[in-house]
Amino acid sequence: MAKKYGLVIDLERCTGCQTCTIACKVESSMEIGSGMRVETVGGPHRDTPAGRYPDLSMYYLPIACMHCDQPLCRDACPTEAIYQRSDGIVLIDEEKCNGCQECLPACPYQALVYDPERDVVRKCSLCFERLDQGFEPFCALCCGDQAIFGGDVADPESQVSQLIAQRNAYILKPELATGPAIHYCPPKPRRRA
Amino acid sequence: MSFQRPVKEEPGEKVFRTTSPFTCGPGCGILAHVKDGVVVKVEPGDFPGTSHVCARGLSYVKLAYHPDRLKYPMKRSGDRGEGKWQRISWEEAEDTIALRLREIGDRYGTSSLAWMIGGGVLGTLATSAIMGFAGACQGTFILPLGIGDSAGPSGDRVSYGTSLAYGERYTVNFDKPALILVWGNNPIETDSFKWRRLRDGKERGARVVVIDPLFCTTASKADEYLQIRPGTDGALALGMMNVILDRGLQDTSFMTDYTVGPFLVRSDNGLFLREKDISPGESEKYIVWDAGTSAPQAYDMPKVAPALTGVYTVKGVDCKPAFQLLVELVEQYPPQRASEITGIPADTITRLAIEYATNKPASSFRGMGCQRTFHGDLSFRAITTLAALTGNITFEGYNGFEPNFGAFMTRGIPNLLPILNMYEAILTDKPHPIKALWLARNNLVNQDPNFNKVTRELIPRLELIVVADIFMSITARYADIVLPACSFFECSDVVTGAGAGTQDYMQLQQKVIEPLYESRSDFDIFASLAKRMGMEGYMEESAEEAVELVLASGHPTMKGITLEKLKEGPVLPSRYSMPAFTTPSERLEFYSETLREYGQELPIYLEPLESGRTPLAQKYPLSFSTAHTKYRIHSQFANVPWTRELDPEPALDINPADAQPRGIQDGDLIRVYNDRGEVKLKARLHQGVRPGLVNIFQGWSPWDYAEGTHQALSHDIINPAQQAVYEPNSAFYDILVEVERVE
Repeated sequence: MAKKYGLVIDLERCTGCQTCTIACKVESSMEIGSGMRVETVGGPHRDTPAGRYPDLSMYYLPIACMHCDQPLCRDACPTEAIYQRSDGIVLIDEEKCNGCQECLPACPYQALVYDPERDVVRKCSLCFERLDQGFEPFCALCCGDQAIFGGDVADPESQVSQLIAQRNAYILKPELATGPAIHYCPPKPRRRA
Repeated sequence: MSFQRPVKEEPGEKVFRTTSPFTCGPGCGILAHVKDGVVVKVEPGDFPGTSHVCARGLSYVKLAYHPDRLKYPMKRSGDRGEGKWQRISWEEAEDTIALRLREIGDRYGTSSLAWMIGGGVLGTLATSAIMGFAGACQGTFILPLGIGDSAGPSGDRVSYGTSLAYGERYTVNFDKPALILVWGNNPIETDSFKWRRLRDGKERGARVVVIDPLFCTTASKADEYLQIRPGTDGALALGMMNVILDRGLQDTSFMTDYTVGPFLVRSDNGLFLREKDISPGESEKYIVWDAGTSAPQAYDMPKVAPALTGVYTVKGVDCKPAFQLLVELVEQYPPQRASEITGIPADTITRLAIEYATNKPASSFRGMGCQRTFHGDLSFRAITTLAALTGNITFEGYNGFEPNFGAFMTRGIPNLLPILNMYEAILTDKPHPIKALWLARNNLVNQDPNFNKVTRELIPRLELIVVADIFMSITARYADIVLPACSFFECSDVVTGAGAGTQDYMQLQQKVIEPLYESRSDFDIFASLAKRMGMEGYMEESAEEAVELVLASGHPTMKGITLEKLKEGPVLPSRYSMPAFTTPSERLEFYSETLREYGQELPIYLEPLESGRTPLAQKYPLSFSTAHTKYRIHSQFANVPWTRELDPEPALDINPADAQPRGIQDGDLIRVYNDRGEVKLKARLHQGVRPGLVNIFQGWSPWDYAEGTHQALSHDIINPAQQAVYEPNSAFYDILVEVERVE
């Protein structure tokens, strides 16, 4: 079976600490923006809850490039700078990228970031240089909550696949049939008194 | 240097294990990748069981290589605060400082020379060097905890004794807690090591209840969240104790065996009854009422069966066991009254109390937020007493490190003075003048209370201000001499975790690159100055020798810890047996003789100084706090682009219930003010902040605001009970303000 590298992110454990956002900047040398962003799912502002006391709730949603089975960014790219490896990882060839930014609005996950210094578009590369040498993605390594796991989501025996099954993990925007490679374990229910 | 997992090294890189000495508590393990003498990246270094470097630590490279770093010594060439500087050499800086210190010391006495440390990167070696140098000058060392962190320790000193700053280890069960209460604490953002221990307890089945006026990220992970009125945690604890006593759920044997509960208290003077009161010439031993003989007996008499309640007349004086006095206090706080004070429903208080007393072990994490109202020490004491009442106290044998802080006090021991007492001393010359102030990595003007008082009244009375720091902070702007300090990549030190069981390790902070520009480590700054001042043979150790000196305290916890050992990786303190409590009675003291004169011998409930129920609230009806956040460490990282990108500007958190009557909409420019000062910034409306409370996440400097600064709102009022016991605290969350829209 063809490999499909992806991530599983445990939203019960994720505390929105933003370590992964910065970790991605470190690893990919991105001064502006990051291949990872952490959204607040809650109130009207970052780090604020939905609802009214005593029913307040908030959780965090780290979003990176989904390395989709059907990459809409690749379809939108006029220079064929965006390509996909056989293991599913979607990459941008910065030599071919002309900074036109056509891909940005095409991505339903808003995962692409324009780099004005180099006039190219950047995104999560699933740390393929690390993966190819047997290291985990840098965000997964740096996550203090051990909430991010990288692996082969097409292999049912892999740790990530087992986690997906155990925790009934879900994907974002399934209605678009993009086939994303990031799966989310939902937050767990609260323990009542 | 061993790493516990393979690290991906790029060609030409060397990887070193070091740590960060930030006062966020943990001291995370850091792997620094160095190429051609430049730190190119950091990643987490392992600890047993955990590894994490947070967003701030990972951004530290951007701080160390920030273009705005101070590069060379400077002296001001205009007025203080004017921003006019002249570059000078280290020699000139040292000669000027030496001359001024001598002059000022001669005129006002050497205790007028003061040294102050801050949250900006100071390991044990740096701290020892500063304390030692202050001693060598026969000067004053300013005790650092009064910057918002000393009320809790003051309370814990009363309850547990003087062995630790924070008594966390007593009320926290890390193993398998059934229930976890989190009081005014946001470890997710402020102590990630503590958070992971707490989370482990949660994953093992504990129910988590967060008690906080602000819905913080830790609250988002709680099973239950109680949005308590600020500063009323003590009343909640008393209300819970009321339910527990009412239902007979207390742990009688714990109270009898481990607390002052059975010790008889004299009704005439509030002191414990002693053996010598009964038979002159006898000992100081505490006396209990023995049920067996129906007579007063020494507490340690074999087979004694002490009474916990009742009134007993001894030598014509009515005496009650301390427990009886506690019962009489607690009786005044039935759930209805506790509810009226705290804003938490009475049936919730009842239910929680029963759960706390029966679903054991129950852990209590108490945070800095819980102790930043004026009577924070009483809040901590009440929570501790609640734990003691139910036997939810652990003696988990945590031994903190006792390094040799006195390593460089070979030429003298400094005078000690708490921060708020320093304010008084500068203004009134009592207990002695303070005329010269050396600030090491300390942003006093931004981080200590009452900005307008500090800048308009205190600073003009200082004849010399020296600031050693990495950036031109607002404090550095007021200096006479500014010295460039180095980052923690550029010097060696020893760092101990804040501990209390969450991160007990000592680590080596390793120098991995040479100091940038002309910057120096604090140790090197003082060593060079000492030499220039003619102190022969003082601080002449190399960095390695200096580290060895600091390790060699001879204390049992330091046994076997050498520099070589530290180079291999993090080390734990050696265990040694110590008494459970180091109070005068060697028991948990919910009753304290020392605080009788303040009426605080018991953990009574007192309203915050600037509470919403005082006359001041007519004018300034909203409580104000400056909670800590993951985006900054105190006033550091606000200018680092990576962290600034995540949190670009200050905002006032305000509930729509408070904003709407004031005509304030989301994003409006507003003015926050009281009699002491004001600040202007944008409003951020949401439901996470309790109605009646407004908040600005701390760490912003005056130039980040539209106008004014948050620190202009705070006060420096001294709590005499805290002063009597330890250090009076800056009650940063005990402030009333009003908010209005700026047209």
